[in-house]
Amino acid sequence: MFRPVNGYLWYIYILGALIASVLAFALMQLVPPRARRYVILALTFIGGLYYALEFFLPVHPMPAPDDPTRVGNFLTQFLLPIGNITPVIGGFAVGLGVVNLSQVHGKRLLRNGLSAFESLAFFLSMIAMCAVNILQQAHPNAINKNLNALLYNGGLQQLDATMFSIIAFYIVSAAYRAFRIRSLEATLLLVTAVLVMLGQIGVGQWITHLAPRTGFFSFLRVEVLRDWILKVPNAAAVRAIAFGLGIGALAIALRIWLGLERGSYFDSQG
Amino acid sequence: MEHANTAVREILIPISIIIVAAILIARRRSLFIRRIQGLTAIDEAIGRATEMGRPMVCLTGLSSGIDINALQALSIITYIIRSSARFGARAICPVSDPQMLAVTEEAVRDAYTEAGRPELYNREDIRFLSNRQFAFAAAVAGVIWRERAAACFLFGYYYAESLIIAETGQQVGAIQVAGTPTTTQIPFFIAACDYVIIGDEFYAASAYLSREPTLLGSLVGQDICKGILLLLVLIGITLSTVAPVLGSLFRQFLMKS
Repeated sequence: MFRPVNGYLWYIYILGALIASVLAFALMQLVPPRARRYVILALTFIGGLYYALEFFLPVHPMPAPDDPTRVGNFLTQFLLPIGNITPVIGGFAVGLGVVNLSQVHGKRLLRNGLSAFESLAFFLSMIAMCAVNILQQAHPNAINKNLNALLYNGGLQQLDATMFSIIAFYIVSAAYRAFRIRSLEATLLLVTAVLVMLGQIGVGQWITHLAPRTGFFSFLRVEVLRDWILKVPNAAAVRAIAFGLGIGALAIALRIWLGLERGSYFDSQG
Repeated sequence: MEHANTAVREILIPISIIIVAAILIARRRSLFIRRIQGLTAIDEAIGRATEMGRPMVCLTGLSSGIDINALQALSIITYIIRSSARFGARAICPVSDPQMLAVTEEAVRDAYTEAGRPELYNREDIRFLSNRQFAFAAAVAGVIWRERAAACFLFGYYYAESLIIAETGQQVGAIQVAGTPTTTQIPFFIAACDYVIIGDEFYAASAYLSREPTLLGSLVGQDICKGILLLLVLIGITLSTVAPVLGSLFRQFLMKS
């Protein structure tokens, strides 16, 4: 629907978008708060209506060069440009996070208290990461690429992996508390967990390898029990929760779409 | 992009109509809502934080951008802040998304103002930490440790970091209330938290806490829809069980005649 532009047209489009955004913000500020609410409600309703109609209206084949099996209706062609509005709105908030972090850590650094060292580490890391990444984008030579890889792959990714691996230790301490026999439910949980764990490992399966593979007594094999626990009671419980969650999410979406939501950041009914 | 098939159209549209109808009916009638233990525990946790003079840590999850889970979590968090403001308890709200930062700041400031204690609002307590999953988890764990949180409220959408955050709260002895729509993380919260709001109780929380007629009506509508779906499941199970038997009987009848 929209085609990319180059040259001076690109600058005109960017300038036009900026002016339109500033005007929209200024107009919203001028509108009284009560009327502003109706503007927001109307925009939310129109946005929701578009996606609801696009989803529910009958579809027909709409082959595209990259997806020959694509189907859609007359609204499908606008999906991409309308979907692009979300990252544009998100773009306005990008700087907010950095500003908030800088304010919090800047004040700590100035106070020179106990956590000043952490705040200094934050500023040094942020500046180093930004500088190296910009350098790598501007001059993609071997030194800059390696520096960026060192900080990103060698530093940040490894720190992420370290935090992820810590979960293993937390699982042990959480499992210890969960499996303590304090009630009937905790005992059932312990027995079920032991059966599933035994069914997952070779030693567990070896313990019951003498039981028949087929027939009625095959349930004595720990891996058969494990499969039954996971596929029958566990799956049933998860699906029941998923049903409730699905309807709950639908109810909230309807309330927000139709402007019926109340409480906290929405209007109170008193 | 996915589109609705006939079954989705036949189920989703009537369900939506039932929910909206229940909301409209509830505006004229008072409705009963059963006690949800996890939500009742919120007041206990606020009381504990007040008595100990230590802060509460309130999270809205790791939703990317502003979605219904983050908004629902924020709705619960603002209730907590309104309630705690009366006693002067401090609430720290780390957020993982820059868009949520602006919305959270606004909602928390409004909550303090509504409670009649606008002076308690401290912008530094609404902190953007990181939008990277484990960096956020590490930072939240650090906040819980350093501030020696007395209560942790973990609402919203979580991934694998749920256990890191909940276990840290457990280690500092904080009373913890969690609620998430992420079914894979519910077991971790059950193991590490004192109270957990399971499944659609998470979406019922704002109705339970605010007692707004619209939200209560929505909740009743949801329950009616769940009843209808349950009935459809039972009919489906019965039909698929008896269909082969009835089919063979019908074939025998046809062959005889």
